[in-house]
Amino acid sequence: MTEEYVVQMKGITKVYPNGIAANQGVDLNVRKGEIHALMGENGAGKSTLMKMLFGLEQPTSGEIWVNGEKVNLTSPTVAIAKGVGMVHQHFMLVPSLTVAENMVLGMVPKKSGLFIDSGKAIEITKEYAEKFNLHVDPTARVCDIPVGMKQKVEILKALVRGAKILILDEPTAVLTTQETTELFKELMSLKEQGYTIIFISHKLAEIMQITDRMTILRGGRSMGVYETKDESPEKISRLMVGRDVVLKVEKGKAQPGESVLRVRDLEYINEWGKKMLDKVSFDLRQGEILGIAGVEGNGQKELVDMLFHLNTPNAGSVEVNGASVLGQSQRKIREMGVSLVPEDRMLYGIADSGTIEENLISDRCGTKRLNKGPLFDMKAIHNECDQLIEDYTVLCKSGAQQVKMLSGGNIQKVVVAREFSNNPKLIIADQPTRGIDVGATEFIRRKLVELSRSGVAVLLVSADLNEVMELSDSLIVMYGGRISAYFEDTSDLSDEVMGEYMLGLKQQAPEEVGRVCHE
Amino acid sequence: MNKKQSMLFGLVRGAAAILIALLVTTLLIFICADTPDGASFGAAFSAKLTQTGGALRQLLIGPAFRSNGSISTKNLSDVLASMIPTIFTGLATCVMFSANQFNLGAEGGIMLGAFAGALGAIYLDLPAGILPVVCVLIAAAAVGAMMLIPAVLKAKLGVSEMVNSLMLNYVVMYLIKYLLNTHLADKSKGQVQSYPFQADAAIPQLIDNGSKLSWGFIVALVFVVLTTLFMYRTRWGYAIRMIGINQDFAMYSGMKVGGIVILSQVLGGVLAGMGGGIEMLGRYTAFSWSALPGYGWTGITVAILAGNNPAFVPFAAFFMAYLDKGCNLMSTYSGVPAQLIDIIQALIFLFFAAEQFLSRYRQHLVVRNTQEELAQKAAQAEGSVK
Repeated sequence: MTEEYVVQMKGITKVYPNGIAANQGVDLNVRKGEIHALMGENGAGKSTLMKMLFGLEQPTSGEIWVNGEKVNLTSPTVAIAKGVGMVHQHFMLVPSLTVAENMVLGMVPKKSGLFIDSGKAIEITKEYAEKFNLHVDPTARVCDIPVGMKQKVEILKALVRGAKILILDEPTAVLTTQETTELFKELMSLKEQGYTIIFISHKLAEIMQITDRMTILRGGRSMGVYETKDESPEKISRLMVGRDVVLKVEKGKAQPGESVLRVRDLEYINEWGKKMLDKVSFDLRQGEILGIAGVEGNGQKELVDMLFHLNTPNAGSVEVNGASVLGQSQRKIREMGVSLVPEDRMLYGIADSGTIEENLISDRCGTKRLNKGPLFDMKAIHNECDQLIEDYTVLCKSGAQQVKMLSGGNIQKVVVAREFSNNPKLIIADQPTRGIDVGATEFIRRKLVELSRSGVAVLLVSADLNEVMELSDSLIVMYGGRISAYFEDTSDLSDEVMGEYMLGLKQQAPEEVGRVCHE
Repeated sequence: MNKKQSMLFGLVRGAAAILIALLVTTLLIFICADTPDGASFGAAFSAKLTQTGGALRQLLIGPAFRSNGSISTKNLSDVLASMIPTIFTGLATCVMFSANQFNLGAEGGIMLGAFAGALGAIYLDLPAGILPVVCVLIAAAAVGAMMLIPAVLKAKLGVSEMVNSLMLNYVVMYLIKYLLNTHLADKSKGQVQSYPFQADAAIPQLIDNGSKLSWGFIVALVFVVLTTLFMYRTRWGYAIRMIGINQDFAMYSGMKVGGIVILSQVLGGVLAGMGGGIEMLGRYTAFSWSALPGYGWTGITVAILAGNNPAFVPFAAFFMAYLDKGCNLMSTYSGVPAQLIDIIQALIFLFFAAEQFLSRYRQHLVVRNTQEELAQKAAQAEGSVK
């Protein structure tokens, strides 16, 4: 019975031009009106499979059937015409246009054939928002609305274009707990109205809660289709990673020493006049992991930029072991013993078409031990890099391989290997495990704990609540550019309490927050 | 794809580009070929055919062989001699493009280098052995200084080095023409030219057959090695390449981005200037260039053909010089317009530069290779289970 399925992908294989086989003989069958999960670790091939269903990539071999008809999806336009819509992980919206204008982009209603009929656009937006219970403000500019609403706009955009099959690529990755709950309600109502949803995720709890069936991918191959209600989270986890993953990192109690990083009254107003940092003060001591939790966009990124002088604050001071960081070159800051695992590894962390070796030596290319007179000591470089590749278990053929040929987790291991190995006194780890697989995540977390216990000061910025709560010795929460809470001990903290501070429902008194300055 | 395969693919791709360009060229020559007046269609056709055949022979094997099949030393040495300036401009462009600095100033650079070298050769009073060396060094320094203009403006103010260096070429050219026409002209000559160089300033020839194949050729090859070493074996060359790939990464890693941006362009200037000085002293006895010589533009083609890798520059330069000579011979001996060379070069260039050219074939290779690897892995896994 083929009619049962609205989407059938048969024996899909995809080999990228760089030789990576992202999918190998994958089958996917989605029933009409179900919420179907596509699960797997990063790099398992979920996104690639969905890109082919949305016409962004073409399969190397295999067939795609939509509504019982064999289709050749050469572009998203074709896919949309067949009723397939996709909401990307990174929103594809024009920030400077209003919600309504974004909704009708590419299908703009015209007044006398020339002018944009914005009234009509708003009307369409309202009509669809009402119909699907997805409430958005049609006249607000996209750059001013919260992430949760942006996502609704994306979903509506797909619906306006007539999508009956919705692909959601990790939709909850950027949402708060409350927003996620709301999204799930909306998805259930869409399901009741007969829409089919393909839900990409690697978060077990969500999958168990919302989906009917799931297809699990591992290493580019399908591990089978399962009815959600029949399976246990443990079994699914085993299917996903092929082993039982314990993400508990054992760490002894911290023995904090002297203050390494001292931040006082840091203020920053961004180019649009918004105050992103408001009198931020804290100390970070030797041998301690200080976590910075908070919903993204509450000043964490700006704070990290200031600490590494990628940006300059309007007021305040940043000192590392008594010497000011402000106005110093990155070379000088590195010489002070500061290392940074940047949030965006592709932007700052690596030179993508360089080799692994070239990426490992970027911060130390001028040191004596790697140079013989004016020339590089190639033997010393090979030795050092081979050692790092081994120590940090970077999966590669050799150090001469291009970094961009590696998977996300291995690229991050290259960054981490470089940043952790130059005798740092202070490590700033900004979202160190974002978007990488479980194995690499575990490895990097262990390394961070190991380094901190050997006396390095670690500042851990992470949007992953589990990560900050698990790894940090003490923790600050940022909300609206301020420190809204400081917890000296993280062991008895609950998610609920954290949530209240992260969402700005509560704010500790200045005296309580002030305890993070150890003077 | 492994190294051997990418190399094979590169060769196949290059050969295919040349072959297609030649096919189109053949067609063009055939169209351009003269027909005897009043000849019947058949006679005209066969006349055109013979002419095309002759023209192609000149183009393809003329630069290397005589019509009796023996090797033509003169033509070959002509080809090698004309490689000297383009090797230098090619190297200069490689260095600048590697840093992602699209500086097009090698053209003006080679003219200024030639001019500065010429001034030294006319006016400096130095012993015979030292004079040409000093002249070439002056040429290099002059153009290095010239490149400071686009380089510093880029590093400090973010001004586009492409626009700046492009315009600078013409500033340099007209400045030289002005000086040559007014203050430095040898009024006793019938054309605009400088006073003659001192005899000691000439760079000695390798072969004295009028090809002007000087010791400059050897110097050029030495600089190919030096530049390759610099780019791939020193921290500065490494920094230049890393900045070229990802400037933010270089900055974050603690490299002095502004300094390296300037260094890459000044170094490019030094190489171009050296090429200009050597070309002038190795080939001429007085300075009489009244327009940009075109070596800088060829240098850009050479650098792109060489994939910005200095080690491949001599091969690319040889290819361009050979083609140039072939086209000249063709227009001399078979009445095909010399302008065809531009079309042929453009065609070859087009196919080389087209990233997607033969990408399907490449994808096919990649798929096959990956599948083999996967099969191998599976077999290994099975073996270890047993």
